[in-house]
Amino acid sequence: EDGLGDSEPEGKHRSSASHWTVSFLNGPFSSRQSGCQDFLGRWVLLYFGFTHCPDICPEELDTLSAVVSALDRDPALPRLQPLFITVDPERDDVAALARYVRDFHPRLVGLTGTPEEVQHAGRDFRVYASAGPKDEDGDYMVDHSVLLYLVSPDGLFLDYYNRTKSPEQIADSIRNHIRNHVPL
Amino acid sequence: MAAPNSAQRKACWDARDQLWQCLDDNNDKIQSCQQVQGDFEAKCPAQWVKYFTKRRDFLKYKEKMQTEGFTPAEGPQVNS
Repeated sequence: EDGLGDSEPEGKHRSSASHWTVSFLNGPFSSRQSGCQDFLGRWVLLYFGFTHCPDICPEELDTLSAVVSALDRDPALPRLQPLFITVDPERDDVAALARYVRDFHPRLVGLTGTPEEVQHAGRDFRVYASAGPKDEDGDYMVDHSVLLYLVSPDGLFLDYYNRTKSPEQIADSIRNHIRNHVPL
Repeated sequence: MAAPNSAQRKACWDARDQLWQCLDDNNDKIQSCQQVQGDFEAKCPAQWVKYFTKRRDFLKYKEKMQTEGFTPAEGPQVNS
C-alpha cells in the first residue's frame, strides 16, 4: 500500500522522479524505467508541464492532487497514479522534478527523458509544446497545451479534462470510467 | 538557475497581487506604484515578470472589449 508519511521504509525503492525510456512499439505505458516503476495496471491521471512555469502548472497539479485525494477517500476504488511529464527536458532533470513534485500529492511522480523521448510521449497525447526564446539569464518559457489525461490500466487514453472542469467534476468522471471499465 | 520553489512562487504571486491591486487603485498609473513594482520585479524571475505583465495587459484589453465594445474593422471592398 502506498505510504503517505514523509519517511521511506528502509530498503523500499520508491522514486518520485525517474528517467523514462519509451518503448515505441507499445506506447508509453509499457515503457521500461530506471526507477523500477511501471504504470500498466494502474489508472493514471497525467499532466504535461515544466517546473519553471509561472502559475498554470502549479494550479493544474493542485487540481490533479485534489482529484486523486478525493478518489483516495473511497476505499473501494483503485489508487490512481498521478504523473507529471516535463515538456522541458533540457532543464527538468530527475532532481528538478523530484524537488518540484514534493509540493503536490505524495504519490505524484515526475518523468523526464531525452528530448526525443519527451517529444514522442507528447505526440501520443497530441500535446503542443514550444519553447520560447532564451533571455539574458538563459531563462525561457515553454508554451504548452493544458490538459489532464486519464489513462486506463490497459494503457489506453480514455478522457481529458481542461481548466473549466472542477476537481469534483473530474473525480466524478473518473469514478464513472472506473465503474464502466471492461479490461481488454 | 533552479526553478522557484513553492515558497518563492507564493512570494512572487503575492507581490504580483499587491502590484495589480495598486494599479487597480491608481487607474493603472504605474508612477504611483513604483515600490510594489520594484518588489514584484525583485521577487519574480524576469520571465515571470514579463509573463504576468502581458497577462494583465491582456485581461485589461479583454475587459475593455467586453465593457466598451469595439467597432469591427471594415472588410475589403468586393465588387458585386
